[in-house]
Order: sequence, then structure tokens, then C-alpha cells
Amino acid sequence: MRNLGRNILLFAASAVFLVYVLAPVAWLVSSSVQQESEITSRPPQWIPRQPTLENFRAIFEAEEKQVTYETRRQGDPATGGFIPSTARDLVPAMWNSLIVAVAVVVLNLLVGVPAAYAMAKIRFIGRSSSIYFMLSTRVIPDIALVVPFFLFIHKLGLLDHLGSLIITYLAITIPFTVFILVSYFESLPDELDKAARVDGCSRLQTLLRVYVPLATPSLVAVVLFTFLTSWNEFLLALMFTQTPASQTMPIVVAAFTSDFTISFSFINAAGVIAVIPPVVLAVVFERYIVSGLTAGAVKG
Amino acid sequence: MARITLNSVGKRYPNGFAALEDLSLAIADKEFLVLLGPSGCGKSTTLNLIAGLEDVTAGSLYFDDVLMNVVPAHRRDVAMVFQSYALYPHKSVYENIAFGLRMRGHPRAEIESRVKDAARRLEIEPLLERRPHQLSGGQRQRVALGRALVRQPAAFLMDEPLSNLDAALRIAMRAEIKQLHHTMRTTFVYVTHDQAEALTLADRIVVMREGVIQQIGSPEEIYDRPRNTFVASFLGNPPINYLEGALAGDGAGMRFERGALRLALPPALAQPLRGQAGRPVRLGLRAEDVDERRAPRAGETLQGRVFSVMPVGSDQYLGLESEGTQLFFRVGRDVRHREGDNVALSVNTNRVQVFDPSSGASLLWQ
Repeated sequence: MRNLGRNILLFAASAVFLVYVLAPVAWLVSSSVQQESEITSRPPQWIPRQPTLENFRAIFEAEEKQVTYETRRQGDPATGGFIPSTARDLVPAMWNSLIVAVAVVVLNLLVGVPAAYAMAKIRFIGRSSSIYFMLSTRVIPDIALVVPFFLFIHKLGLLDHLGSLIITYLAITIPFTVFILVSYFESLPDELDKAARVDGCSRLQTLLRVYVPLATPSLVAVVLFTFLTSWNEFLLALMFTQTPASQTMPIVVAAFTSDFTISFSFINAAGVIAVIPPVVLAVVFERYIVSGLTAGAVKG
Repeated sequence: MARITLNSVGKRYPNGFAALEDLSLAIADKEFLVLLGPSGCGKSTTLNLIAGLEDVTAGSLYFDDVLMNVVPAHRRDVAMVFQSYALYPHKSVYENIAFGLRMRGHPRAEIESRVKDAARRLEIEPLLERRPHQLSGGQRQRVALGRALVRQPAAFLMDEPLSNLDAALRIAMRAEIKQLHHTMRTTFVYVTHDQAEALTLADRIVVMREGVIQQIGSPEEIYDRPRNTFVASFLGNPPINYLEGALAGDGAGMRFERGALRLALPPALAQPLRGQAGRPVRLGLRAEDVDERRAPRAGETLQGRVFSVMPVGSDQYLGLESEGTQLFFRVGRDVRHREGDNVALSVNTNRVQVFDPSSGASLLWQ
């Protein structure tokens, strides 16, 4: 009986927690298919009375035209007619976000995996201090780095260029990538490394044929972490990008609030679209997060 | 098929710790050499240097007449078995065994026949499709052996391969490894801290301590003619006993004297000690070299009081307190003593050791 009481309590607690975490997301999704008048009504409607996809249509069909104070009302019932003047930047911004995020993920793996293997398994002078040094760069808040980064990017001539985002995001994410992978590689027995090399693997082959297959769970964690970091990053993107040529999704969505008038339904629809790629990524890779893969390497 | 020669080899780590200093060793082709010593003595480091898993920082290492100092591990034709087995957890048993051949580019058909052959030899054929985590400790050990022997390497390196197995399995595997050496006819270098393993397997034993070789010799030499007290103490169960005393004697012969104890040394042992009467020495007395039969003359028996009796099945260990020193002997199980008994044991003086008490060096064998 005590067990039953405990279970009920646990269930109730998790339900409360779940509601707390998911309610904003639910409101985002729900309001993205509501009409502007419904969103602003009081009390708010959790279940839309007349669901509409107009908001999404507006994103993909936003026309290229100058919106002025006089022409801002377009008579669209879904959005209340308040389609932001920058609406048509949203789809290119998604592409920019995707290009930056994918490049950051790929380069992170290319640099982080060999670096972590070397730091975990090769003894060299300055090994542990280099790990601490990399991590210590992450103690500095990003805002303090904005000006140095800006000067650096300016010197490189990369302002308003996707390259500026890729370079700075790498500087932010690689220390974490290396840190996560170093701790994982260190947890794998040194003897595996030795066995592979005696079996005829060069260092690189040891890494690719033994360590990478075993590190799948942490590699997935690294992919998710770096993708989300660069997908969501706002501050640096705000500084280094000026035109739709390089603006990413967070910048463009945020700009929707600085127009003549604000369409919440349109912004929420954009928010839903912004959430889709990370969710897809998480669902795809969830299958690969298998634990216990290393069981049996050594006497366990 | 390789002679392995180490010339004044040293290994110093970046933090300044010297694991090995000036180690010279010549391992003959097809020899079974055992590196024996306590943990931290540098035996595993020596093995890693031979394998190429760590860099030699001083001296030179040769396979036959080829300098190997800077040849990376994957270009040396050696195979290695690890204490933790180090099987690849994401590969099946078959793939584990085949991996070394695959990396060296052998044709698929040849790999298959060699893996099957090795599996048959080690009786692990039914396990080929399994993953390492589905195997018992003994089976993993066999896979690790299979992974090494399938390669038919020039040298076979083993780093405490049996110490994770239980006692019964360890004895059986010891016999199999010995058998393996006979059939493979290749150089084996085997690291262990287990004296019994060293004595049963080795053609020659190298006893090491703190990065320095203490003695090299056949198991009999190491056991019967230890060069110092470290080697003498490391082998033998229970360990060798020491009696502090002094040499005495005249032209005719030499004696060891300690209180009432007067042991006449046989001529062969007395020879190198001649002329050193009065010198304080440490007498080494192996646990099995005493006898219940009384010695013919007084003073030639070791007197003491039993403080411990430990039957170990086939025989028993007797703890004896003699003039303030605790000694342990191995006696037959039919000998009936109880704690507190006073006993007199005669000493097999043909087998005693004599050491310098301060340096620990043997005064008999150099």
C-alpha cells in the first residue's frame, strides 16, 4: 500500500513537471494555428476554435514588396493583416541557419574527435594543461568576447558573411565537444588502444575503427549539442550579420517584433518552424543513443 | 622468429619519472622469457617498449639486427595479450580474431581459414558469432589468445594474461600457454608478478625491481642461486627465512653462528667465504629446507617455539619463533605440533644462502 501511495505521488509530481515544461510549447503550437483575434482574446483559447494554416502559408508566400505604414493592413483575417515587412526573409534565414549549423557540426567532429583522442590516449607534454586551457576559455561570458570577435571578423572581411558565424560558433562549441569526448575516451580502457595498434592500426585507424564506433552515444550528444547551440545562437549573429544574406532564423524572428505592428500568430508560426529541425534531429539520433555498448571490453 | 635485444634501454616519462634505466637484455629466438617482479618494477613498461606502444627514450632496441626504436607498433610484427583481454566490444569474436589479419591486408579466404583454425585450437568455434560481453572470463581469455596466435607473429607478448582468471582455470591455461609455445615455436615474452607462473613457464626468468634487472637465469638458477635477498624473497612459498649471524671458521671449514646455533657449511658453500671469519652475515633458509630428524651434533639444530600451525592440505606451514625471530617452514602434514610446542629442526645446510646483511647481495653467487 505504501508503494501505491508513493507511485501516485511520483506520478502527480511528474505530471506537474511535464505541464510546467510543455505548456509554453503547447501554447506556441496552438497559437500558431489560431487567428490573431483569437490569440489576443481573453481568456486565451488553448484549443483553437477555427484552426488555420494561414500563418504558415504567409511565411512561404510572403511577397517581395515594400510595406509602409499605409499598406501594412492587408486584410488577411488570420494574421490580422500584420505580416511583417521582413517576412520574406524567413525562408532564406532558415537556410542560413541550416548551413551554419551543419557546418559547425561537421567541423566540430573533424576537429574535436581527433583532438579528444589525442588528449585522452596520447601522453605528451602539456596534455592536461591544454585540456584545462580549452575549458577555461568557456568561463568567459560570450558578451565579453563580442568586441574582440567583431574586430577579428572585421579584419577577416567576413562581416555579414556566414563564415563569421561558423568561425565564432566553432570557438564556442569545440571546447565542449573536446571535453565531452575526452571524458568518454578516457573511460575506454587504454588496452583497447594498445590492442588495436599491435593489431596493425595506425593512430588514425585506431581512432576510426575502434574508438569512433564505440563512442556513438557521445558523438550523438556532441552532434545534438553543437547543432542546437548554433541553431539557437542570437547574440553573435546579431552582431555579425546585417542583411538577409547572412541573417539566421533567431535574428529574423526577433526582427518581427520591431515592425510597425506585431502579429503574434505569424511569429508563433515562425517559432514552430524554427523548432522542427532540432526535433527531427533528436528523433533521428535517439535510436543511436544506445548504452552498454562498451560492456565486455575488459573484465566487467 | 626474432631475437630481441635491448641495449641500455631507458624510459623516462615527461613528468621526469624514470621507469627504466640502462636495461640490457638479449632475448633469444624461440625463447620463453618471463619478466618477473612486483608492480611498478618496470616489467610492463619493458613489454610496451618491445611492442612499440611506448617510446624508448634512451638506448636501442633491436629485432634481430634491425633497429626498432622509432618503428611504430603497427609495423612491428608482434602480437600481445593483455591482462584485461582488451577485446573490441563492438566486434564479434570472429571479427576480433580476424581484425589483425584484416588490418594487414590478408585475403579474405586466408583470414577465414586461419581464424577457424585458431578457434579450433582454442576450442572456441561455437562462440565465433558472439560478442565479448556474452562470454565468460575464461572464454574472453581464449579469444584474446586467439587474436594473438592467428597472426603467427615474430614475437608473442603477454602482459599478466592469467591474473584475472580464477585459480583452477589459471593452472589449466598455464599448461595451454606452455603447449602453445611448443607448437608455435616463436619468441614469447611474458610479464607476471606470480612466481609460480614464472617458474612453470619460463626458459629464463628476469627478476626486476624499480626498473633494474636483479637477476637473469633459468628457473632453477633463480631459485637455487639468488644473487640478492630481493630475488631470494620474491620466490618461494612461504618466503625464505633470514637469520642474522656471523661467519666463523678456521682453515678446515666455515660455520654460521648465531647464539647457540652452529651450522657447518658444506665445502662447496664454504669455498667463496674462506677467510671472512667474523663477518656478520644474513643466512637465507628456504621454508622447505628443514627436517624433523635431529641433527647428529648439538648446535646444529634450530630451536624454537611453535606460534602458528597452518595446514594447507598437502602439507602445513609452521610458524616458529627462534631467539626473537619469526620463521616460517613447510613441513609434512603428518608432523603433529601444536602452538606453544618447543621443537628442534635440522637444517639442510647444502641449500642455505648467505647474504651481506647491509647490501643484501649474495656472498655465494655473483
